[in-house]
Amino acid sequence: MIFTSFNFLIFFPLVIIIYFILPEKWRWKFLLISSGYFYINIKPVYAILLLLVISTTYIFTRLIDATDSQERKKTFLLIDIILTLLPLFFFKYYNVVNEATFNLLEITHLRWPLPEISWLLPIGISYYTFMAIGYSIDVYNEEIPAEKNFGIVALFLSFFPLVLSGPIERAPNMLPQFKGKLIFNYYKLVKGLQWILWGYFMKLVVANRVGMYVNAIFNNINEHNGKSLFVATLLYPIEVYADLGGYSLIAIGCAKVMGIDVMQNFNRPFFATSMSDFWRRWHISLISWLTDYIYTPLAFHFRRFRIWGIVIALMITFILSGLWHGANLTFIVWGTMQGIFLSIEALTNKKKKAFVRKYNLLQKGWYILICSVFTYFLFAFSEIFGGASESVTAGFLTIKKIFTDFKGDVWYENPSMIIITSISIFILFVVEFKAEYYKGQFSFFGNRSLAIRFLSYAFLVIMILLIGVLDGGQFIYFQF
Amino acid sequence: MTSKEIIIEKLTSVFREVFNNDQITLSNEMTAKDVGSWDSLSHMLMIEKVENTFGLKFKLREINKLKNVGVLIDLIENKTTC
Repeated sequence: MIFTSFNFLIFFPLVIIIYFILPEKWRWKFLLISSGYFYINIKPVYAILLLLVISTTYIFTRLIDATDSQERKKTFLLIDIILTLLPLFFFKYYNVVNEATFNLLEITHLRWPLPEISWLLPIGISYYTFMAIGYSIDVYNEEIPAEKNFGIVALFLSFFPLVLSGPIERAPNMLPQFKGKLIFNYYKLVKGLQWILWGYFMKLVVANRVGMYVNAIFNNINEHNGKSLFVATLLYPIEVYADLGGYSLIAIGCAKVMGIDVMQNFNRPFFATSMSDFWRRWHISLISWLTDYIYTPLAFHFRRFRIWGIVIALMITFILSGLWHGANLTFIVWGTMQGIFLSIEALTNKKKKAFVRKYNLLQKGWYILICSVFTYFLFAFSEIFGGASESVTAGFLTIKKIFTDFKGDVWYENPSMIIITSISIFILFVVEFKAEYYKGQFSFFGNRSLAIRFLSYAFLVIMILLIGVLDGGQFIYFQF
Repeated sequence: MTSKEIIIEKLTSVFREVFNNDQITLSNEMTAKDVGSWDSLSHMLMIEKVENTFGLKFKLREINKLKNVGVLIDLIENKTTC
């Protein structure tokens, strides 16, 4: 059940109440049962797949720990990673591999047509697969001993707030919490509920409203002029951020209510002043996973090439990041673009820093503004391939129209659409602007005055009920 | 000068060059958070320069366990005196 479904609004409070009534030492077991119930309700067959990944991870981490031979450890790790990746690879890239193979067979006249099978992606597989592999590598690197309790490993990989769309957590952070004292903490409960509320606002109001406008345009590229496409391109990052960021906040909030601390997944990404800065603020759990387990070993392996080794590592890492999203060529183009942006920044870093220091630019508001806007434009532009378009052809058509068909009126369905969408974006922007540049000064949720706190909560709830889009509206990042 | 002092002196000039900052002074507790230009992009450049300067080779596992500059200094000392 997704977070914005009615079922979840019943499921979660029920789970919390039982959770805190139960004696402390039963709580993690109850979480495991709840997570199992949560996941089975999506599709029982997929639960079997999750169980297989859990079992593989448990067995091989224990094998790695049990042997003293470095060679053996490496072999176990390799087998474990291959077995764990198999389902992900199969479901995600099945069609691409199929088509490529069929094309090859056609060319060599060996093709024998059989009925096609359509496989739906098991929910959460991209997320729990990465968590499982990260854990195995951590055990191999002796960051954490292999967990002997199967139930704890199962809970780590199936924990219901995280299982569907992340954040992609790490065993050294989660296992000690599950094994430790899960006691009631009023401060965490309130903080968690605040995050959940703000997450729902981001998703139901901002993401869904902006999404209505943007999707209408991107689903019909041929019908819209370059101006409308340009506006949609600029708005799309807001939709994705409010969607995944909002969802992540709900997930993190749910865990916090139960006293469990989960990593932040976004850090006000649109205030980034460079793409390097951006990638430390956007989808943090995925990028830090890729940095620790892919980029760092690659950069280490290629370090004799100095800055060019960094460039190679960046390109490979971000192309893989693109592929994580799906087997479509658009994601590979997107990943390549990110790699190029970051490589250029890495190559020009020293000169740029000297320039900035010479003219003391970091103190100048206009410089920060230009950098933030430019970075936003770069990301929005790359997102044409990162999800806005179904195909590379559509992506290029969009770009072409923006440059050659930049005339006429910007499309909108009715004026209220513009007003409502603008209000929701404005609220989000004001809150984040304050948090970014005026930290610690006047807080709404953290205000000492009870009245201001409750007015803030009430305001958001009213906004959600008034202008939120409450029916359907899938989470974009479910499909990954 | 003790071997450790020599290491610290050489390492300081490596840091100052790679991270483009003449003011850097090393301390045992120093981490990437304390130095502006020290991030995942420049980290491996620093490691490579350290290897060249001291004539040694690290293993990836050793790099991953570097909690702070103090650990790095100890690691260099171990590898250069064995």
